[in-house]
Amino acid sequence: MSLSIRVAILFEIMRVTVRQLLGRRRTLLLLLLSALPILLAVVFRAAGEVSVNRFTRSAFDTVDMTILLPLVAILFGSGAFGAEADDGTLVYLLAKPVPRWVVVMAKAASATLMAIALTGTSTAIAGLIGLVPGGGDGVAATEAMVLAVVVGSACYACLFLAVSLFTRRALVIGIGYMLVWEGALSLLLPGIANLSIRQYALGAASAIFKLPIESSRLSAETAFILAAVLLVVSLVIATWRLMRFELPGGTD
Amino acid sequence: MSGQRSAPASAPVAPGASPAGSIYDLGYRHYEGRRHGPLYAAWSLYVESLRSVWGFGRPATAKAAPFILAGLYALPAVVQLAFSSYFAQAVAQGQNIELFAYDSYFSQFYVLILFFCIAQAPELVCRDQRYQVLPLYFTRAMGRIEYAAARLAALATALIIVLVVPIVAIFVGDVLMKPDTFSAIADELPKALPALPASLLGAAGMAAISLAVSSFSPRRAYSAIGILAYILLMEAIPAAIKAVGAGAGWSWSDGLSLLMPVSSLDGANYWLFGSPLPNAFTGNVAAGAYFASALASLVVMTAVLFYRYRRMPA
Amino acid sequence: MSAPTPGVAGAPATAPVVSLAQGADLTIEVRHVARWYGNVVAVNDVSFGLGAGVTGLLGPNGAGKTTLLHMLAGFLAPSAGEILIRGRHPGRDPSVYRDIGLVPEREAVYPFLTGFEYVRFNARLQGLPRPGEAARDAIARVGLSDAADRAVGTYSKGMRQRVKVAGALVHDPRILLLDEPFNGMDPRQRLSMMELLGVMAEEGRTILFSSHILEEVERVGNQILVMVSGRLAASGDYRAIRALMTDRPHTILLRSSDDRALARALLGDPAVFAVELTSEGLSVRTAHLSVFRRLIAGVARGAGVRLTEVIPGDESLESVFDYLVRR
Repeated sequence: MSLSIRVAILFEIMRVTVRQLLGRRRTLLLLLLSALPILLAVVFRAAGEVSVNRFTRSAFDTVDMTILLPLVAILFGSGAFGAEADDGTLVYLLAKPVPRWVVVMAKAASATLMAIALTGTSTAIAGLIGLVPGGGDGVAATEAMVLAVVVGSACYACLFLAVSLFTRRALVIGIGYMLVWEGALSLLLPGIANLSIRQYALGAASAIFKLPIESSRLSAETAFILAAVLLVVSLVIATWRLMRFELPGGTD
Repeated sequence: MSGQRSAPASAPVAPGASPAGSIYDLGYRHYEGRRHGPLYAAWSLYVESLRSVWGFGRPATAKAAPFILAGLYALPAVVQLAFSSYFAQAVAQGQNIELFAYDSYFSQFYVLILFFCIAQAPELVCRDQRYQVLPLYFTRAMGRIEYAAARLAALATALIIVLVVPIVAIFVGDVLMKPDTFSAIADELPKALPALPASLLGAAGMAAISLAVSSFSPRRAYSAIGILAYILLMEAIPAAIKAVGAGAGWSWSDGLSLLMPVSSLDGANYWLFGSPLPNAFTGNVAAGAYFASALASLVVMTAVLFYRYRRMPA
Repeated sequence: MSAPTPGVAGAPATAPVVSLAQGADLTIEVRHVARWYGNVVAVNDVSFGLGAGVTGLLGPNGAGKTTLLHMLAGFLAPSAGEILIRGRHPGRDPSVYRDIGLVPEREAVYPFLTGFEYVRFNARLQGLPRPGEAARDAIARVGLSDAADRAVGTYSKGMRQRVKVAGALVHDPRILLLDEPFNGMDPRQRLSMMELLGVMAEEGRTILFSSHILEEVERVGNQILVMVSGRLAASGDYRAIRALMTDRPHTILLRSSDDRALARALLGDPAVFAVELTSEGLSVRTAHLSVFRRLIAGVARGAGVRLTEVIPGDESLESVFDYLVRR
């Protein structure tokens, strides 16, 4: 199979996956959620508050990084395959002469791009409204925030894509990860920074501009390397899992 | 016993003759006696829901989440109780040792309560929607509101149990730490008693929020995310606006704290116990206002829940 | 235990060959395949070979038909034995799916796609040069052209089955594996689907479909594989299998000018062990069909009775199946 056909197939799967992820009510809710950072930015503007410090800590960190980004990315990541791996309808996708890694890449790319489209745009607009007019570091800070969101989206989406191939409860596990791992535990155990997607995202952002968020602990290089490792490992595991996909005998 | 009795047809009707119709008495009996009303039906649903929250009537894995979470929530208080004999010596020397207090316990460990709600509320209301068995309920004695109320009462009851256990543990621990039991009880009891209305408010408030949000989706995972998103965002966004508002001199921004569900329950706790609000509560909002807003949230969310069930297509 | 299929020259006793055109290659080879889950054996030492033509995989629920089909499709690894699809092991290399069209029992995905979009999606994933055209052709073949632009979620069950079949044959595969394909179809749709399968078999394809509805299998092809409790109970032409079931008495219906006289005459012969006068005619039970066939004309002449009809009573697949299952 030539490369161009493979690419065409990749896009085809992506197209269908994007349609799969966008239900009517769900899209509306997600759009509303993504508007929240923008609203906050407007409020901050109205308050005349454009200190990069304040904005990144009070708005970006608490709303975008902690809640919105993980929620949206985990939702799309675990929904890309959705129930297909459990109820066996994945067979329709796999009974094709398509290499398994192409399928995984297509699903992962769809989930990541959709997460970025929502959260990245919202962060960018929020930054444009809240920070950029203030000049100074505003532009760099905005760029850094968007980079953090991009890296975070890719990591959350791909990790939970892989998880969703192993269990039906990927979404719930994602919530647990958000609340417990990145929330409570990382306050208690600093070593967890190396295993936290939040840290990767914030660390990656510091390549452009060091966002004044205290808990950010990783250097840019470390963050990028760890994020890349996570991405590769997740996608490889997902591919391996697809190769081992088995249809049970059924009630027959 | 009613029912017609007519001779069952023995021979097949000859072709050409018009067949006479008959109704055969197959022995089915009508029940003409007393029937229980909607209250009984609602009570039955309540009991079943309460059991379901704790995982009874389902496989063992369903019991893991609620019991573990409830256990973890009570754990610190129980540990304090276990060490009470050790502390008793220090107390006898006049020191006052209290690691965990009645009024602050919820604010320290509410994450577990949140988890409990996220895990169990979808179980209560999503499955019936998913498998579309709601008509089976609504065409019987029970109405839609009774259904929702029964589910709400069950989750609230379960949460009351979870909230009260550590209070009791602290109470017992405090009593045991003091040398004279009877006067210790007389001392502690009035301090601990406000825990009852506080737990009631906290339980009902969290249950109402969780069920109201969950009822909008038949899929448990989405409902869980919905509850999480609601609580987290309703805490984070007013906090962010408050933070700016303080700098910008907006006096009204302090009032935004009243929108935050968990903080309102927290504040209500302190108010019921008569304690001053801790420093974490910025701004000039009176503690009593938090109580009012927690109550308002309970009422509003219950109304949303009932509205949703009235309008649910079934 | 499998009987060698008469009429197929050179069929090895251990691996019966079913529906083989003479001299052609076997497209599907199954050699001593077994599959177990812990203590439960779903498929037990099954061996057969298939070539071009339609073969019905028959068996009661729980016999292992779906398990076998999933193994043939490469989505389940055999616990023992091997499966070769055109000489290759399925399940290792996805390119084998260029030659296979699979119609599993489960529901189709993506209810938001229209029928045409779904089939075209399949065509694109197969890397076909003109997916839109191929999709239209496939949809026309299954008779869904009218409904092709409606969302699959609005289809009836029979229509969904058909769109799945369209998706499976859009890339013109040499092999078609169908699991209970006639589920949910009304009789007319079933007939046209059977016709379609017959036509495709004529074109040289190897088609294997599973069913537990005997009339379907009877109509489509007369080559069958019968599975009972995970084992292959019989294979080949079901009429030939019937003839081999010598330990079971055959029933033949006779119509004549004087049934009672004929009955009296027949009872005298040791090959006959029961006769029954029914409103349809004279029902005769005999253990030796071939012997009976030879003697009936003589007996009738001797009794002065004129035979008008001789109807074999239970050559149907149902009685074959019944027998095999009860064994």
